Amino acid sequence: MNFIPHTKEDISKMLSVVGCSTLDELVSEFKPKLSELKIDNPLSEIELVSYITSLSEKNSAMKYFVGGGSYDHYIPSVINHLVSRGEFLTSYTPYQPEASQGVLQVLYEFQSFICLLTGMDVSNASLYDGASALAEAALLSSAHTKRKDVFVDDGLNPEYLKVLQTYCDGTELTITNTIDKNTACVISQTPDFYGNIKNPQGLIDMAHQNNALFINCISDPTSLAILKTPGEFGADVVVGEGQAFGIPKSFGGPYLGFIAVKQFLTKKLPGRIVGMTMDNQGNEGFVLTLQAREQFIRRERATSNITTNQTLLALTATIYLALLGKSGLQNVARASYHRAHLLHEKLRKNGFDSINTNPFYNEFLVKSPKPSEKIIADLMECDIFGGIDVGDDKLLVCCTEKNSLQDIDSYISAVSK
Amino acid sequence: MKLIFNYIQSNTKHIPSQEKDVDLPEELKRRYLPLCDVNEIQIIRHYTELSRKNYGIDTNFYPLGSCTMKYNPRVNEDLAKLQGFSDLHPHMPASHAQGALQVIWELEDNLKEITGMDAFSLQPSAGSQCELLGVMIAKKYFAEKNETRTKIIIPDSAHGTNPATAAMCKFQTVTIPTDDRGNMDINEFKKAIGPDVAVVMITNPNTLGLYEENLSEIKDLAKENGSLMYCDGANMNALLGISKPADQGFDMMHLNLHKTFSTPHGGGGPGGGALGVRSFLEDYLPVPRIKKENEQFVFDSNKEKSVGKIHSFYGNFGILVRALSYLKSWGSDIQKVSQIAVLNANYLFCLLKEDFDVPYDRRCAHEFVISAKNFGEKSTINIAKRIIDYGFHAPTIYFPLIVKEALMIEPTETESKDTLDEFARVLKTIIKELKEDPELVKNSPHTTPGRLDEVKAARQLNLRWMPKES
Repeated sequence: MNFIPHTKEDISKMLSVVGCSTLDELVSEFKPKLSELKIDNPLSEIELVSYITSLSEKNSAMKYFVGGGSYDHYIPSVINHLVSRGEFLTSYTPYQPEASQGVLQVLYEFQSFICLLTGMDVSNASLYDGASALAEAALLSSAHTKRKDVFVDDGLNPEYLKVLQTYCDGTELTITNTIDKNTACVISQTPDFYGNIKNPQGLIDMAHQNNALFINCISDPTSLAILKTPGEFGADVVVGEGQAFGIPKSFGGPYLGFIAVKQFLTKKLPGRIVGMTMDNQGNEGFVLTLQAREQFIRRERATSNITTNQTLLALTATIYLALLGKSGLQNVARASYHRAHLLHEKLRKNGFDSINTNPFYNEFLVKSPKPSEKIIADLMECDIFGGIDVGDDKLLVCCTEKNSLQDIDSYISAVSK
Repeated sequence: MKLIFNYIQSNTKHIPSQEKDVDLPEELKRRYLPLCDVNEIQIIRHYTELSRKNYGIDTNFYPLGSCTMKYNPRVNEDLAKLQGFSDLHPHMPASHAQGALQVIWELEDNLKEITGMDAFSLQPSAGSQCELLGVMIAKKYFAEKNETRTKIIIPDSAHGTNPATAAMCKFQTVTIPTDDRGNMDINEFKKAIGPDVAVVMITNPNTLGLYEENLSEIKDLAKENGSLMYCDGANMNALLGISKPADQGFDMMHLNLHKTFSTPHGGGGPGGGALGVRSFLEDYLPVPRIKKENEQFVFDSNKEKSVGKIHSFYGNFGILVRALSYLKSWGSDIQKVSQIAVLNANYLFCLLKEDFDVPYDRRCAHEFVISAKNFGEKSTINIAKRIIDYGFHAPTIYFPLIVKEALMIEPTETESKDTLDEFARVLKTIIKELKEDPELVKNSPHTTPGRLDEVKAARQLNLRWMPKES
């Protein structure tokens, strides 16, 4: 295809203004000049659609009973219509607030939603994804406490732990298994990777007795509709993955990292923050604020290097939360909870052992009476992706409001063959 | 405009009602959820109205320097939303996600050919995360060689992310000044390069929109010294099909897929990052890698030297689908993109040269920097705001920091000659206005919300809506 509007005449007129006779001469300074490019011939739109569609069809379509950091919640139709509007889609970071009030107000609403849900004071305008948001929170803690040790509670998503470990190695922090006077932060996930909803109070108290920060990591934030907020428990930082709020699973990205903190950490937040202000006619408006924290001003003294974040996904989550509202989000959470508990009960009756030591929300761990590979394969035969194999014949199973009662029956009949 | 929290309406009920409460211990249960209900029609009006308060490429010429605001082909949006991609769960085993793995594989393959690098990781979410990954790799590489190298050389024209990244990984930044021609000063570089230098981080073409003329000599000195050459590829839109960064001597480079490969900027993301490395650094890339075995794509996590992982899953996959689609559309014609991007920048530069101060009077690459310093202090911000009145987004302003009253203009290849002519005419008009009616420019914009008070925003922080109840 060709996305260049120039005619041949335009090009020759422009070349003469520039003082070059050919396009090759114009770029002759860029060396070494490449000899050949081994890339396929260009495709027209009809060929492109056919080719990329054929790739998409090589992926299997399944009914999902799987979470583990990516959740199959229902996405209302309106979201795609609004998010696709070119004024949002094709704009960039709102450096010129007068030409960007739309995105800025959306981000202010997003920050508000995150604070309301988590019970925290201040949120930023998004980070990349759940895992890197957690890593950023550890860096924030280290900068705030001037300490280098990071304590991680059992049950953190293993992929998040890998990302955290990578960031810690690069930035010279250490993951330790004690909480003491060297601890910058204590990290705990709610519900944890295996579904357990643990009361964090003991860990929070231990963190605070040692002047460390407590970071609560949230994997499926629809749980916040029914669970006591991390803010109320006393968390200092809440991070997590916002994918559950209307964002397609899309093989793992783009997703939505979020971070919210208590007031005293406001100036330590990484990334963009939107604030309300006035214009020169006395009307309310919005701008990017506290920019003195950021890399383009502070350079090597910045709190983080993050620049481009996940604004369009923050827009998606904002519209999702506005659409569902209080009762909708409660319905999502209750339905997810009840479906998961129904399936859990039926599995127990079919010889699966319950492993969770705590109450669970929409994700739980069971030990299979047969080899877990066989269970997963049997389910796949019925176009059901039935769980994450965490080893030792244990399966991590998840339900959302999308898993119908018939789907649950199909699941049970597939595993009881 | 009213906030979404200020409506009291009935719920649209997208989800069936669930009256039955959850059975959890009271100390774990939420007592109060301070959200409101708004009906769908109002949601549509609210966010449609907000979208109309926003300039985008679809509505306005958007010459934001260093950001490559080119047209985003709509078909790529449809392709990323195909159910086979958008509905695919990231824990799906590789055997059932062959199409997705092929997208990643083919995109890596095309990027290798375009840049000359030997291997790519598409895990990073944006350019900044690529830099972080690159510096982590350098750190591990030297640690394994038992070499203590504590410094990273960065020119003073560089993006702020470069020194910010170096500092995150506990490297000291050595800043090299820019010479009279807009290049990294070679004499200062010679003084700085030494056994303690781990990485030389260069943007090419640089943020002044100029090709680094001393690159070959810099590369030789860096190699002799055992340092790694890192290319910030934010400006790759100048080089597609013309010159490969690996041939220029770089060992690592990143690409911003949302810039060069036209995935939408989305109001500030999602971006897409791609980190390319030469073969001797391949084993350090994050896991899982994708390999081909008997015509099947499989994940390979068994890489002892890998720095680890930097994304919850495999990166911004939906962005990768769009970038691959864009690349397939251009295919072997891709050099036209850069040729016309460079032509557009040079043409507009020539139209504006007489009216502005030109800090470095050379042929530019895909963008250029001019200065409004001759019109007095703060004239750049005033010009930028006035540009908005004429229906264009403003260029990048006050960057690079080394040029006073800088305007950094990147037209991109998708803008027509007419648009460039009109933009030049508008800038000339504004200069005239500055002389004849300076208050008009100083009080601009007049067609949008008035100029917003950033000082007040930072001093009297209001970062969220508060419910009345609490």
